[in-house]
Amino acid sequence: MKSPVPIADCHGHFGVLPDFPAHKGSAGEMLQVMDLLNIELLAITSTLACYNDCPRGNAEIAEVLKRHPHRFLGYITVNPNPLGEALRELERWSAFHRPPLIKFHPDLHSYPVHGPNYDPVWDYANQTGAVVLVHTWDSDPNCGPLLLAPVASRFPKARIILGHSGVSWRGYEQAFEAARLAPNLFLDISGSQSHRTILERAVEQVGADRILFGSDLPFLEAAVSLGRVLSARIRDDEKEKILRFNFLELLGTEKRVRR
Amino acid sequence: MAALNVFDANVRVGHSGIHGQLALEAGELLEEINHFGIEQVLVSHFTAEEYDAEEGNRALARDIEKSPDRFIPAWGALPDKAFLERLARRKPAAVRFSFGLKKHNLSYAPLYSGPLYEYLEEHSILAVIAREDIEWDGLAQLLQNFPRVSFLLLETGYRAERYLGPLLKSFPRFYFDSSTLLAHRQLESFVEQFGYERIVFGSRSPLYTPGAALAVLATARISDDAKRAIAGGTLRRLLRTASSET
Repeated sequence: MKSPVPIADCHGHFGVLPDFPAHKGSAGEMLQVMDLLNIELLAITSTLACYNDCPRGNAEIAEVLKRHPHRFLGYITVNPNPLGEALRELERWSAFHRPPLIKFHPDLHSYPVHGPNYDPVWDYANQTGAVVLVHTWDSDPNCGPLLLAPVASRFPKARIILGHSGVSWRGYEQAFEAARLAPNLFLDISGSQSHRTILERAVEQVGADRILFGSDLPFLEAAVSLGRVLSARIRDDEKEKILRFNFLELLGTEKRVRR
Repeated sequence: MAALNVFDANVRVGHSGIHGQLALEAGELLEEINHFGIEQVLVSHFTAEEYDAEEGNRALARDIEKSPDRFIPAWGALPDKAFLERLARRKPAAVRFSFGLKKHNLSYAPLYSGPLYEYLEEHSILAVIAREDIEWDGLAQLLQNFPRVSFLLLETGYRAERYLGPLLKSFPRFYFDSSTLLAHRQLESFVEQFGYERIVFGSRSPLYTPGAALAVLATARISDDAKRAIAGGTLRRLLRTASSET
């Protein structure tokens, strides 16, 4: 089983995890799996940065991008604390991608996504038209999907991806509601809970144009997201948008790449 | 996936008071497994899990009646003497426990539930347990106390490797399902480390789409023998053993 169109994957990582052993997570091993499933592009964020140290983590991403510039895209992962570090990181790694790809993990960084320390970064994202991937979780006080609707309205030029779309059935419902309120919100399908019919429901609720393929590779198994899309009872053109074209459009490369 | 002759070890049927629109009645569930090319399912009833084991078993008996070759029952189980007598009349090949105070308030200690496990042991009946219903330490005690019972743990979670490895090494009749082996290349890494013989395919249907678990199996870089065994061969062997001794 592999994707019928080359996948542009909006949600990947690089690094290990604290609570279970990582398997086959080197860049080379990730590339093997990407080839197996037909993932052409994977946008990665540093796991070290998500958990603990953004400057060191982003430097790891820079090394991966240097070695594999045509297969990986780099998110600049930022922590709102200490204040000032995030903007320094955005400047330091501004060559990763234009428009910038930025990652927030308000859960692990233990700070609410709508809190004032994030404002300078939201402002930067708004000015640059950045794509901001935010980890979201059902009703979470730091990163519940509904928290993003007013943020997206305040910063309308930022394109905000709801990472995991809130994960659970209820989280997805919250993501739908948020996306209905703000046109610059997008849904990422990565996650461990592949509820039956939720993808069909997402297409019905927000439209296939605002749903993005995410795998969470090499944290989660990329075949999970692929299986969900390929087996969903939606049209083939909707699957192609989700698998590839929607993320390319956010990256600004859709017209150039699409044949 | 039809070529793999998939036998899904982790399926529930009937009305659910918790899972609302995701639950499926028998006819709908049959359509769902047909859509995914799944040949057989080991199925338990939501009523047995959420309410009463006997009421659930009666509902399960009704629901599997029309498709006895496709729906293989995992009956609700309790240690009460009268319940065990009724259970025996169903000639079970598998039972599914619902431990926990809010479920069947059922103990895994020999002092309280010994006759049930002895019955399972005597008839080589497969005991199915969901991870959310038992703590790791409790599971280890259960496996230690009843080493001749085959236990199938469902939905281990993908963060379970530090527990599963020692359990697999210590208890040769311990099996688990693939439904939550969702971490990157986890299924093939498990097979590389521990072999394929004690992993059985599970989907968590109808709450979750089988498309995800099937894709994990289909894309695992493991041998064809391993895929066939995980897809259904191992579960069929376990249930045949039970049938021949019941």
